[in-house]
Amino acid sequence: MQLTREEESILVGEQGPGRQKAMELVTALGKIYGAEGLIDITSAHLSGASYKTIGDGGLKYLEDMVAGGAKVSVPSTLNPVGMDRKRWKEMHISEHFAEKQLRIIDLYGAMGIRTTCSCTPYVGPNRPSFGDHVAWAESSALSFVNSYIGARTNREGGPGALAAAILGKTANYGLHLDVNRKATVVIDADIDGSVFSYSLLGQAVGMAIGHGIPYFKNIHPEVEEAKALAAAMAAAGSVALYHVEGVTPEASSQDLSGLETIHIGKKELEDAYAHLNRTDDVQLISIGCPHLTEKEMHQIASFLKGKEKINKDVEIWFCTSAEIRDRCPEDVREMERFGPVLADTCMVVAPIEGSFQRTGTNSAKAANYLPTLCSQKAMCRDIAALMEVVM
Amino acid sequence: MTIVGRSISPGKGRGEAIVLNEPLSFLGGVEGSTGELKVADGGNVAGKVLVFPKGKGSTVGSFVMYDLMVHGKQPAAVINESAETIVATGAVISSIPMVDGIQSVSLFRTGDIVEVDGDTGSVEITGVRVRRAVTSAIVRDGKVLLLKRPDTERSFPGKWSMVSGSIEDGESPEEAAVREIREETSMEPGPVAATAEQILVREGDVIWELHPFLFRLSSGDVKLNPENVGYEWVPVGDVGGYDTVDGMDLVLGSLDLC
Repeated sequence: MQLTREEESILVGEQGPGRQKAMELVTALGKIYGAEGLIDITSAHLSGASYKTIGDGGLKYLEDMVAGGAKVSVPSTLNPVGMDRKRWKEMHISEHFAEKQLRIIDLYGAMGIRTTCSCTPYVGPNRPSFGDHVAWAESSALSFVNSYIGARTNREGGPGALAAAILGKTANYGLHLDVNRKATVVIDADIDGSVFSYSLLGQAVGMAIGHGIPYFKNIHPEVEEAKALAAAMAAAGSVALYHVEGVTPEASSQDLSGLETIHIGKKELEDAYAHLNRTDDVQLISIGCPHLTEKEMHQIASFLKGKEKINKDVEIWFCTSAEIRDRCPEDVREMERFGPVLADTCMVVAPIEGSFQRTGTNSAKAANYLPTLCSQKAMCRDIAALMEVVM
Repeated sequence: MTIVGRSISPGKGRGEAIVLNEPLSFLGGVEGSTGELKVADGGNVAGKVLVFPKGKGSTVGSFVMYDLMVHGKQPAAVINESAETIVATGAVISSIPMVDGIQSVSLFRTGDIVEVDGDTGSVEITGVRVRRAVTSAIVRDGKVLLLKRPDTERSFPGKWSMVSGSIEDGESPEEAAVREIREETSMEPGPVAATAEQILVREGDVIWELHPFLFRLSSGDVKLNPENVGYEWVPVGDVGGYDTVDGMDLVLGSLDLC
């Protein structure tokens, strides 16, 4: 790999051990994936924030990074953590967990990372522009910015993204390069256009292709739909970039000749639905994976207006960012008749397995991860159908 | 014996090898606080050179490696056939020397003393000698000539092999290949149809450095010398059904025969 003189000097430790370690990691990953050099990035988004997922090893790693004086050099945001940093008691979180989790948040903050603790930083404080090279972790968010915005990032892991944020550089390979951003398969989609249908579409496509770069015809996603589609495809498969005819910025430059076309319609969506639904009975309903946008908050609040929660045995959590929760006080009041509107967290990275065994969600992404990461039986339905459970 | 791989994580490490034949997930596969290995034959990775094909599983595996380091239970070094993000990340952040790009974990045996140089990518297996040899696929009518080695043979007794033998001092690999064919089959091989990069095969405390050759013949009868006890012309696709010497599949693959 070709390094500049300055990059070489960081690698041999002339700018201290913290930046040296970061350079070792970025160059090791670059070498593995055949990068010819490094590229400047304009932002980073970091995963590896929940104490539940990173454990004591991860916590010690962050402590050592901070003790070594690590600081990010580009605007950086943080993924959701294992609890709402203020309302964690409503989530049945132990004192021990809360103490460790708050420490992790502080450590990220000490490195100069904005501890927004959201998986949708692109609707708030961290929105890349078309053509920006960035280093993002969080599979749903990085797919959204690659696809809907036309920024460029690989699927970074937590420490890799942190190293890139410290250096302001990442290895230049994969989706940073034009040649690797070309559609590999055409998806002829036939869906009803609801957000939930986009979630099922993403599930079906992830199951059908695994990885690759799909080019969609016949769909017209806005932010909320694109977010659901990105999240589902990244969880059911490992899709990090997609194009949508007439919608996403790189779609018009695609050459579709010779590509296979896959039809995804009623039958494929039914198969995806069956795959995700493994229980008819839930103890927790959690909505907001990825985090609810302002528009979704309004929609849910107006749907719930005038309705009552009858079944008190089932808990309901709504998950969003603190910024959006603060921005929608009236929606929050309406929604909280049904359950807490939580910030900073979601059902996948929270330690819900201590309190629940069966969880309902409207998110295909969450329904993929609930069984493996949270030992849950999952139900996956649209919001109206989920709410029928408690009304 | 020195094998040259690719440096992934800097530093040098030396220790007894633990060799796993399957991809390893550190999350679930290794106990971070004790170093206990929970897969394959178990054991403890602390201070060992951990050899496995590649990483798999959760990205949290990187932090399990860090946890090992925090508890002083980290491996002395890691060797992979091909590195991926999780293990490479864990090795770098935990300052564990790591090398990848070695041909196969089958070159190592659990218990070998191995030195890893993560700065240069070189790996030294102590007490293991290299012997250079040729192995020739002789193909006639889509069939490859296999020779049966006697049970008294020191190397790979009783196995089926292609026409093989050591390269003698002062001899080029091609000269050795032609000589072996004449000696062992009394056939005249004609021109070399293909060669490939050498292939390493472990046998006890020897690593054979095999130079593959392909010869295509249209006629000629095999007359064995006493080095072998039988021969067969075998359709290339059927070789897998024979009890062959190690590495035969790699040699055939390198010559684009399977």
